[in-house]
Amino acid sequence: MSEKIPIEFSVNGQRRAVEVAAHHTLLEVLRDDLHLTGTKECCLVGECGACTVMLNGRTVDSCLVLAVEADGGEVMTVEGLAADGRLSPLQRAFLEKGAVQCGFCTPGVLMSAFALLGENPHPSLAEVQDGLAGNLCRCACYQQIAEAIRAAAGERER
Amino acid sequence: MHPFSYARPERLAEAVDLLLKHGPDARILAGGTDLILRIRDGTLTPRLVIDVKRIPELCSGIREERGRLMIGANTVMTDVAAHPLVRHHFQALSEAAAVVGAVQIRNRATLAGNICNASPAADTAPPLLVYGAVVVAEGAEGTRRFPLDEFFVRSGVTTLRRGELVSAVELLIPARRMGAVHLRRTRRRGHDLASVTLCCGVDQAGMARLAYGSVGPRPLLRSDETGVLADPRGQETAKAAVLERMFAEAAPSKTSMRASPEYRLAMLRVLGSRAVRTAIERLAQGGAR
Amino acid sequence: MTGERIGGSPPRAGGIGRVTGLQEYVADIRLPGALQAKLVTLPCARARIVSVDKSAAEKVPGVRLILSASDLPQPVPRFGPQFTDRPVLAVEETKYHGEPVALVAAEDKDAAEEGARRVRVEYEELPAVFTLAGALAPDAPLVQDPSLRPKDPLARTNVLREHRVEWGDLSSAHADVVVENTYTFPMVTHFAIEPHAFLAAPEGDGIAIWSSIQHPNWLQKILSRLLGLPLSKVRVYAPDPGGAFGGKQHAKLEPAVAFAALRTQRPVRLVLSLEQTFQAVRRAASEVHVRTGLLRDGKLVFQDIRADYLIGAYVDIADRVVGKGSYPAAGPYNVPSVRIRARGVLSHTTPSTAFRGFGNPQVNWAVESNLDEGARVLGMDRLELRLRNLARKGDRFIPFDTPADGEWEQTVKKAAERIGWATPLPPGRGRGITVGIKSGPTTGLSYSIVRLLADGSAVVFSGTSDMGQGARTVLAQIAAQELGTPVDAVTVVMGDTAVVPYDQQTSASRSTVLMGNSVLKACRSIQAQLRAMAARLHAVPEDQVAVERGLVRLPGRELPVLEVLKPGLGNLGGELIGVGEARKEAEPGHPLGGAPAFFEFNCTAIEAAVDEGTGDITIVKHVTVSDVGKALNPLQVTMQDEGAAIQGLGHTLMEHYIFDGRGRIRNLGAIDYRIPTSLDLPLELHSESVENMDGPGPYGSKGMSEGALLCVAAAVAAAVREATGATLRDLPLTPERLWRALRDRR
Repeated sequence: MSEKIPIEFSVNGQRRAVEVAAHHTLLEVLRDDLHLTGTKECCLVGECGACTVMLNGRTVDSCLVLAVEADGGEVMTVEGLAADGRLSPLQRAFLEKGAVQCGFCTPGVLMSAFALLGENPHPSLAEVQDGLAGNLCRCACYQQIAEAIRAAAGERER
Repeated sequence: MHPFSYARPERLAEAVDLLLKHGPDARILAGGTDLILRIRDGTLTPRLVIDVKRIPELCSGIREERGRLMIGANTVMTDVAAHPLVRHHFQALSEAAAVVGAVQIRNRATLAGNICNASPAADTAPPLLVYGAVVVAEGAEGTRRFPLDEFFVRSGVTTLRRGELVSAVELLIPARRMGAVHLRRTRRRGHDLASVTLCCGVDQAGMARLAYGSVGPRPLLRSDETGVLADPRGQETAKAAVLERMFAEAAPSKTSMRASPEYRLAMLRVLGSRAVRTAIERLAQGGAR
Repeated sequence: MTGERIGGSPPRAGGIGRVTGLQEYVADIRLPGALQAKLVTLPCARARIVSVDKSAAEKVPGVRLILSASDLPQPVPRFGPQFTDRPVLAVEETKYHGEPVALVAAEDKDAAEEGARRVRVEYEELPAVFTLAGALAPDAPLVQDPSLRPKDPLARTNVLREHRVEWGDLSSAHADVVVENTYTFPMVTHFAIEPHAFLAAPEGDGIAIWSSIQHPNWLQKILSRLLGLPLSKVRVYAPDPGGAFGGKQHAKLEPAVAFAALRTQRPVRLVLSLEQTFQAVRRAASEVHVRTGLLRDGKLVFQDIRADYLIGAYVDIADRVVGKGSYPAAGPYNVPSVRIRARGVLSHTTPSTAFRGFGNPQVNWAVESNLDEGARVLGMDRLELRLRNLARKGDRFIPFDTPADGEWEQTVKKAAERIGWATPLPPGRGRGITVGIKSGPTTGLSYSIVRLLADGSAVVFSGTSDMGQGARTVLAQIAAQELGTPVDAVTVVMGDTAVVPYDQQTSASRSTVLMGNSVLKACRSIQAQLRAMAARLHAVPEDQVAVERGLVRLPGRELPVLEVLKPGLGNLGGELIGVGEARKEAEPGHPLGGAPAFFEFNCTAIEAAVDEGTGDITIVKHVTVSDVGKALNPLQVTMQDEGAAIQGLGHTLMEHYIFDGRGRIRNLGAIDYRIPTSLDLPLELHSESVENMDGPGPYGSKGMSEGALLCVAAAVAAAVREATGATLRDLPLTPERLWRALRDRR
């Protein structure tokens, strides 16, 4: 039953072909087969958002997506945020505003932030909090994360 | 996770055939936000997972068709919540869809999947019931249409027959304006499974419909045609009496760790009276955003 | 000097790796040929292991090893920081829900999972104690083998130890008002976003271990003993943890993984699920009975505190938590007579370990709440009551111990002002203001090595664990300040016992003070070498040369360090090396082993509103002020304080383990164990610091990062009490519980 299914999808703009078992999640394939360990494993029940990636233009918990479902699709992970090795304004804002403590939630938070700003370039604080609600941060730098996102969006801080 | 096989039919008939052939050994995979969880924790052990996301008949999205709003089976919560027609005509459904999990879940979880999973706490169930949603199911014997109220049996169980799957949910665009609201009780402000879900809608003719969930094996729909609930000048005590009758069948779980039966029953009443008030206000304001 | 060094907030070291996803946590490390491991555990709180049948599991293709107690050296090795009680794998009995029985190592995760599923453990469920009442009942089954405490009269009970602190004379103390209540604090878990992960690989004639352990040297010592290897052959790599909060201080599964690696002669990787992590670590729960005596004018006369901490099946560091946490339980006040009796009570539950606050939050919840009740009985303002009794700087509020080391009333007044304590309260709202205190490290030993390289850049070797608090950055700032190096030209090397010198531990908010002082001393040594260099180069007596803050001062002029270093090193090049040692010796006879190096002091003020229909609490305004001495990195101080404050709201409002009638945890995992999300923040959260340069650390700093968690619960409950009249004495203050209290208040 663990037959391998060949799939092809683009990851951070690069075409990848890989053979996966049906029951392997996108999270597992990204980390274990493609060696993109930026996306993290934590709750595995779609609650914490540490595994957040973009799939076909929307953020998803990759722990709840089978790799085969991404066949023919486009995936973006945290490794895809910095173009040509230069940090994006969002990443820089996170560093400047102290939105990174232990950093384990950071990749997922960045993906959610990236997606939020893509749809809502100037979010209010409430919209940021709601948009980031699916990303748990136990170090609890929620306020700094919100500031960083709004700074990246060019908003004035509160 | 236990291994399983995967099929990705590209035609509805193919999916139906697979369902007929495998019966309970196969499960439909739409958004996966319930299925993957349950396979991982071992409460479901399908031999075959049928990914229906590429079946064109299920990808119709949200469309208005002859006075009905059709929500295709593969429509995700994000789109249900944001669609202008849903917001305009079915505000409480938009509200409910907007609180299913967080963004990442809403981008995957489908409306059809939410009702097929048949959790008593399904957030979209109360508004769908209040709005009189109709389930469109496709099977070996063709298409069946029936009210959502006839769909739920108990937790995890629906009246779908072997070989059937939901292809769409239909909502009749109401001739009479309705004011409605969706409320829920959770343990924190952040995303959570609800320990009480409730929707109340009132219309210009004085009809009130109220549906609630997570206080029994399935969400329940009740209505009040006396006009008492919907009356903006009605007395609280009279309304409370009507609500009491509506809640009479509530039978909350005695073993749930999310909330005690006592609390759930009390919150049913608190949310009920608040929902009635808000529904009346919304109707007065125009019944839409 | 630029503002970027001390007192500035330069970009955090290690930040780039974290925002690009390149930072490697333990679970991200790939070793070629590594076996993947899964645990076998039992679905009960306590069970006698009858047999472990591996035959079916062994047949799963890819399974290479199934390790259980019978495969280990006999008797099965045990370890633990305080008692050598925890077996590498369960022996004859599992003593808590989730205790590992076996470890299955296979070529891939699927095979390991399948193998673990097929290990057949025959077991007999045994009655378990998982509450204080159950554990203290006269006929309660004993959790710990009495032979571990041969001379202890308590060995035949589940009371591990009673700690007593007493001064004054309780029996003759006269009080006008006595307030007496019992308060409970739940079992909660750390829920770091990084679940525990372990990796071990044979390395030459020794072994290498990767663990997100906060105390790498301590782990090295334990493994050296267990494996029978010299310290030099045990290399512990400690990648920065993805959050720890105390839960990663002490060895848990490293020994089992190490044995597996040596047995298979291959790397073995074990990553716990979040559920397994919840089963592995938690905070001690407590029931605290407080009797407070006051005079009519508000002066405290006595505090009589009985604290029972429910600790787990293995002691881990729990006894220290009980002793150290309860020691300052009477609070940062001058109290003439005090009696504190604190007991650690063993139970068949997850071993409780260190968790931010280290036993203080539990007693603080009780003592501060009780003080508020005293204020109500006296008809006195709760802020006024606290100010009236607060220890002033220099007061020996704990007799014969470290005196009060801060202008604490300044912190309190700042918080009071920020919350608007004196302003009229809007209708439907309530306020609370509370203080918290925690003892800093009582002993310590931190070595560091600093290398000033030929181009003026520097490397700092420090054994501190940077788990998010930003230790790396602060240590770089210190080196930068002292050596004149730009902060971003300082590399801090941590987490490798083969390369980094000894550090006792990262805990008790000690690292800025102890490791900071160590780095400072290492820099001083380099400065001394620079003085000698400058004296030689410029033919000036050494005592006329001063080196400070990156400048070399000679008679008549000032040179940047680099202008002495380059010519000083000459044609052979090279570098200057400094070694720093910060040592705080034990004081035999002191109940804590030593007097605290400093106190963390915090004042928290809350304004809250309550929805009386549902019991929902809205934190309208949350003010937290900490006495930090000097904020070496103000942004990081704010981040730590706000993080601690929000974490405190977790156990205040929503966190608790839920057990079934047989001692099994029902709410394992993220769906039913609730922690604060971005939507659960106070409507306004303000953190501020008081800086009086009066700490023992570099530049007058004190340790911080636990203070802002200590007194959150009592402040929230006080605000709720003022808003609604309902008194709650059991955490968490869930909507349902508040609803019940509101209903019962009529």
